Amino acid sequence: MDSLKQNRMKGVNLIIIVLLSFGLFGFSPGKRDTVSKKNKNSIPDTGEMPVYGNWKTFTKKDGLPADKIYCVRVDGDRVLVGTSNGMAVYENGTWKTYSVKDGLAHKGVLSIDVSEITGDVWIGTLGGLTRWSSGSFHTFTQLNSGLPNDIIYSVICDGKDVWVATGGGAGHYDTYSDQWDIYMERNAPMHEPWTYGVCAGDSKIFIAAWGGGVIEFNTKTKKFRDYVDPDEQMELDVFPDDGVVHDITTGVSYAKGILWVGTYFGLSWYDGAHWKSYFDHDSGLLSNFINYLKADGNVAWMCTDKGLSSFNGKTWVSYQKNETGKTGKIIVTKGPRIAEGAKTKEVAATSSICHNFVLGIDFNDNEIWVATSKGLCRGEKIK
Amino acid sequence: MKHKYQALFFFLFLLFSVFVVSAQEKKTNYGNTPDEVIPYGGFHKAYIDFFDKPQPFTGAGREKPEPAGLKEIRIGYLGPLEGSVMVPQGIQMLQGAQLAVEEANKKGGYKGIPFKIMEHNDVGLWGAAANKVVAMNDEHVWAFLGSIDDINTHVALRMTLKLEIPMVNSGDPDPTLTETRIPWMIRVIGDDRQSCYALSEYIYKVKKLKRVAVLRVDNRYGRVGIKEFREAARRMNHPLVLEIRYAEGDTTFTPQIQRIIDSEPDAVLLWGNAKETALALKQMRKMGMNAPVFGSDRLMSPEFLKIAGKDAEGVVTTCQYNPNLDNPKLKAFQKNYKKRFGMDSDVFAAHAYDGMNIIIDAIKKAGLNRAKIRDVLTDMKTFQGYEGVAGKIIFDASWNDIGAIWMTEVRNGEFHFFPTPPFTSGKVACNN
Repeated sequence: MDSLKQNRMKGVNLIIIVLLSFGLFGFSPGKRDTVSKKNKNSIPDTGEMPVYGNWKTFTKKDGLPADKIYCVRVDGDRVLVGTSNGMAVYENGTWKTYSVKDGLAHKGVLSIDVSEITGDVWIGTLGGLTRWSSGSFHTFTQLNSGLPNDIIYSVICDGKDVWVATGGGAGHYDTYSDQWDIYMERNAPMHEPWTYGVCAGDSKIFIAAWGGGVIEFNTKTKKFRDYVDPDEQMELDVFPDDGVVHDITTGVSYAKGILWVGTYFGLSWYDGAHWKSYFDHDSGLLSNFINYLKADGNVAWMCTDKGLSSFNGKTWVSYQKNETGKTGKIIVTKGPRIAEGAKTKEVAATSSICHNFVLGIDFNDNEIWVATSKGLCRGEKIK
Repeated sequence: MKHKYQALFFFLFLLFSVFVVSAQEKKTNYGNTPDEVIPYGGFHKAYIDFFDKPQPFTGAGREKPEPAGLKEIRIGYLGPLEGSVMVPQGIQMLQGAQLAVEEANKKGGYKGIPFKIMEHNDVGLWGAAANKVVAMNDEHVWAFLGSIDDINTHVALRMTLKLEIPMVNSGDPDPTLTETRIPWMIRVIGDDRQSCYALSEYIYKVKKLKRVAVLRVDNRYGRVGIKEFREAARRMNHPLVLEIRYAEGDTTFTPQIQRIIDSEPDAVLLWGNAKETALALKQMRKMGMNAPVFGSDRLMSPEFLKIAGKDAEGVVTTCQYNPNLDNPKLKAFQKNYKKRFGMDSDVFAAHAYDGMNIIIDAIKKAGLNRAKIRDVLTDMKTFQGYEGVAGKIIFDASWNDIGAIWMTEVRNGEFHFFPTPPFTSGKVACNN
């Protein structure tokens, strides 16, 4: 009887010690596996997911006009970079800067795209939209054109058409007819005409409408439809997977029949019939605060305030810089979500993205270019 | 001996458990939301709550050195100064900010350098406020105060993240303003969420009215402002009997009032600017509609009393401060304001004075670095519990001021202030 009591007391003690450890010292079961020293530098099998490394950083010291990089666009052998102090072009190993005196609408360059038809470069700035064509610059503003507003958060080229997401609505410019259309709350299903991102795919234009979810415009039927958060609440998400995670949307990207939606509250995925939601607490997404996102084939890249995450629906590969030095880590999460059995492994990396506040991304076959709050960096495909 | 240690250990564990539980009990719901009206509270716990902790800013910028050789320390002002029905409020807001700057400059400014307000008119056209923020960035302001109109304030807010300019809002009560997660803005005035909760508690619990009809302006202020009341009413088992709109600037409301009469409400809630709601109230009474009338904060103005006249008697509104409080700081502000500008201060002036003083204090504490100024503004310590002339500021995790607001009742042609009623618990009556 005494030994039974003693065993019970031992059991109680053990429970108390464990509970106190959780409570007092903050020990909690981590969602990510720690890396053993033995396999510290081996990147696990990521399947079809590419892995990048050998990062190189570019800053003002290398010829950029500013360290704050808003966007990057790869155009064949050259790289176009939007900064807080003009547009820089990297070609043949050297940088050249274009500023307001060259013809840019404003020094703050938020978005860049290139027309596949003409090769014209469309530059979205804080003071209007600039077309760079055959070496000359022409600027569209609210005053000289049908541009909805001079703050161009996003610009894309879709065949002959140019679309912009602005602070005063979405704009469509037909380069053949030289005509502008403005889409706002009066002629589209937007609560307000605050637009933040735009993308094209499968004869549709998708607009990230700040406070209005996602607006879809069918270029064939000229019909709109909207996708909003079903629970209609700003402060919470009642259910995952029921629709876009929040009505404040910051970016959209469409590839291979999948619409990816970035918000400051998490990531949404839509295949035309079903929605899925991914948050930093339940998946390999580094942060819910998504500044920008871009899909390339099956892989979407999320530019967050805590690093860069990529995801193909099965596996996450994320890149994070360590707090000090130039080293970082690659975080691989196999499986879409923790609840679906996802397992995470961190791998130390001798080089990393230049800053964890990531604002833009673009790629070519073997390179990835990342725009950050403190520099531009280029990674090489290593797997 | 062994048993003594076990008992001590167990006692410590119990103490710790009690501490944890009591700490949790003190925690208020997001936005001071009463338990009874938490969204989906009677149905399902949310998968994720977005504002349980402040959103950090992890970008660069703190490493930038303080510039040398400045002749003035620029602070932006964004507000309605011309071309808007909100110009009187914008002028009050500007003057409140000016008084704070002038007082700070008398005390030596920032290290002997005077502060200067860079004024920008909040013109009210779509997107224009964003252009103004770009202009302020080009002027090298260190932070800015703005605005009143919720559309312009939202548009400006979006630019703060791109340009990394700290923003203090002292005049826009739109609940969604602080629900974007952009970590560059704080609000120092109570929002419409607080007004809606106070009104719903007062109407349904204190006055025990059940059938409420809403007449509101057809703009963002009306649409977003009334949302929390509509939802609270539904969750308190008293869904609105009618919600009907009028266009901004309307002067006749006969069709809407007839529909309100037909809906046989116990009370009417007006949500809009002073002028239109006062005109609507007069017409309502003329058409024989004598139900008690309640209103949003914008009814608490001399303009409303002047237009509504005797019909204003008994109208109950909310207000984000009490100008009659026996508070020495408030009294000094009111006296100095009247001396400086030759008019009485209003709610926008008082909150702008507090907001500008907070900006000035943040600059003095952080130095001339926007990211560091942002850090001080949002650290939930430096200005948490700030005792301003408009009252005590309590920030929630979205940097929204959830400090006390007030209610008013018109009696003998004057607004009489009284505290909002405490929330009483009620049975959750609705699933969403």
